[in-house]
Amino acid sequence: MVKTGRLTRTSAAGPLLSPVTLLRIVLVLALLAIWELLARSGLLYRDVVPSLVRIARALGSLLSDGGYYYNLGVTAGEIGIALLIGGFSGIAVGLLLGGNRFLAKAFEPYLYYLGPTPKIIFFPVMIMWFGVGSESKIALGTLSCFFPIALNVAAGMRQIDTVLIRVGKSFRATTAQMVRKIYLPAMRHPIINGVRLGFGFALIGTLLAETKLSNKGIGFLIIQAYSTFDMPRMYAMLIVLFVLAIGANAAIGRLGGLDAIKRT
Amino acid sequence: MPAVSDSALLKVDAVSVRFDTAEGSITAVDDVSLTVKQGEFLSVIGPSGCGKSTLFNVIGGLLGNHQGEVRVGGETVSGPHKSIGMVFQEESTFPWRTVRDNVAFPLELIGMPKEKRSERARHFISMVGLDGFENRFPGELSGGMRQRVSLARTLASEPKILLMDEPFAALDEQTRLLLGDKVLQIQQQIKQTTLLITHNITEAVQMSDRILVMTYRPGKVKRIVDIDLPRPRTSEIVGSEAFGRYVAQIWNDLREEANRGLRDEEKHALQRGSGTA
Amino acid sequence: MTTVVSRPRAASAYLPRLVGLATVILALLLAEAIIRIGWISQFIVPPPSEIAASFARLFLEEHIVHRFFYTVGECLVAGVMITVCGVGIGVLMHRVRLLQQACETWVAALASAPFVLAYPLFMVIFGRNAWTIIMMGFVSGLPPVILKTIEGISGTRRVLVNVGRSFNLTGSQQFRKILFPAAMPTIFVGVRLGLVFALINIVGTEFLINFGGLGQLINDLAERYDLGGTYAAICFVILVSVCFFMALEQVERWLRPVD
Repeated sequence: MVKTGRLTRTSAAGPLLSPVTLLRIVLVLALLAIWELLARSGLLYRDVVPSLVRIARALGSLLSDGGYYYNLGVTAGEIGIALLIGGFSGIAVGLLLGGNRFLAKAFEPYLYYLGPTPKIIFFPVMIMWFGVGSESKIALGTLSCFFPIALNVAAGMRQIDTVLIRVGKSFRATTAQMVRKIYLPAMRHPIINGVRLGFGFALIGTLLAETKLSNKGIGFLIIQAYSTFDMPRMYAMLIVLFVLAIGANAAIGRLGGLDAIKRT
Repeated sequence: MPAVSDSALLKVDAVSVRFDTAEGSITAVDDVSLTVKQGEFLSVIGPSGCGKSTLFNVIGGLLGNHQGEVRVGGETVSGPHKSIGMVFQEESTFPWRTVRDNVAFPLELIGMPKEKRSERARHFISMVGLDGFENRFPGELSGGMRQRVSLARTLASEPKILLMDEPFAALDEQTRLLLGDKVLQIQQQIKQTTLLITHNITEAVQMSDRILVMTYRPGKVKRIVDIDLPRPRTSEIVGSEAFGRYVAQIWNDLREEANRGLRDEEKHALQRGSGTA
Repeated sequence: MTTVVSRPRAASAYLPRLVGLATVILALLLAEAIIRIGWISQFIVPPPSEIAASFARLFLEEHIVHRFFYTVGECLVAGVMITVCGVGIGVLMHRVRLLQQACETWVAALASAPFVLAYPLFMVIFGRNAWTIIMMGFVSGLPPVILKTIEGISGTRRVLVNVGRSFNLTGSQQFRKILFPAAMPTIFVGVRLGLVFALINIVGTEFLINFGGLGQLINDLAERYDLGGTYAAICFVILVSVCFFMALEQVERWLRPVD
């Protein structure tokens, strides 16, 4: 999605609390206070803004509920398979397009313009093809993550510093050595970044499909909370989901060692 | 010059290269012949756009569509030759490898065992004066240090001919002079046959036994100048009178070519301007 | 000096595109054949010719033009909101450094949060109407505009700022005459991204909550088991989005300074 801006890390060593940390704390507290006031005021339709206490309680009961973990597992499995299929095919297609100018010119425009179209509208088609079970969700997740991964890998391959390839050739590296020792390490960043983006899209695709039509998974639970009007539970689930999504996003970056390589 | 023998190690014979561009066909290198003798330091100098880098790529075997012939020790070059080691103008260290692994790269390719290649790498790292930096990544080094890593990497492949394309072009003047000293010292130490491509007159005069001056497009040999200055040389020689005479002589040749290049550039910019307006 | 080898334009420039187009047409013909033969059931994938024929129905019976303008209207409202709020917040965050330091990473994290999944929540808050859809688009498109605004303004070349100083510009003059124009291209990149996200989420939400323009049409047709219509409507939406991106890119190219 969007390139993360500079990560400003303020040193904790200064005065007890740096102004930035202080402001952050104030902002969070203010937000929570306004929320709680709104909840207590009764100005809004009941339960649209539930009290923090009730959200916390819902969060507690959600996290101690075995059924929740079962559904979380279902969804995680679907996303995992989608990312696996979409990731491998995306990387393969990306390598093909990145390595061959002709193919790139012939086919990449289609991927490029199909990439940012709403994928969820394909869901009816996926149901016709793969049925109403997990398969159609996996298919939608796969479709969602294929494009960003393929495009990222292709672009990344083209962005390899050509001088590095000339270095390899000047030392008479074989094709296998070129791939293993130059292309792959040089492309680690774009591949990991592509997978990270792909994960986000796979997650959205899979979960949205679940909210539309399913009988298990997190998406199903969210829509169930909606239809029973259990707002605290819905907030609790969204909170957990956002935390998991942002956490997984960061973890993929960390695992891929995105911050390990530097070049000034 | 005791190190230089008469046998020609590298022979470039009537090489021409033409490119087809949108504006028509351009002759980048036109009928260039030269020889580099065993142990010799030869520089090729010319204004930008004289086809120096093209010549570099042809000799290195990275460019195939040329006429004429390049021979190394009697073998015709078709594709990168094991006797030729190239140092590139651009920053070319592998950012994901430590200094040691960068330098060991060519040894890795020929399947040298790990212990042995670490040891060899250390030898060449020490030769370029980077002891203690073996485990650093290029991102942690300065531009001059990274270029020394590239040099060590090429030296590690123990080429018969060291082929360098403006290796100091991206560095500041002081670093460039000091690095030049380093290269000269290494070159004398291991009697390395070297072909340097450059646009810097001082650098060329300081280091070379002979200098080949090229013309602006199409790149032809304009003149070959023997540099008869005592060795070992350092950058201190830059102040001497004889040095000044060589620089003046070569600049005289080059100025005309550089001027033609400048006029050509202006003409092109003008054409582009009227084309888009 | 770089040695760029390029051949004369004429044939080689268009060949890849022709091959690409030919492949697509061939694939469609192949699909047509396979479906007509019956290797794939007509009740799963209608033949391309039938899908093409269904387009007429979309215009005559399903009022697709009306729906198109409905969706465009939602996008327009969301787009204006995204631009005004995003640029406003971005400028504010840039001016109040402390705020930027405190919140920029938050905004960046939010940009990767799956906001669409909160659509049931938005339905509770705003009801099942156009506002839910517009707000979905707004929320998902806002972070890139904020981030790119900050990036654009703080990325203004130092020397340009110094030029302004040397002419003794006041703070607001400096902003209006130097910082903002210099940041314009980058800000538009943010707006483009924001609009793309907004469009995706608006059509998606329409489909999910079964309300509004084009997205709902797909849902409708699918529920009626109108296969040809469903496929045709999907194609129409894709066509619309592709045209939309191309137009945005054109504007972006036009805004970018010549270098």
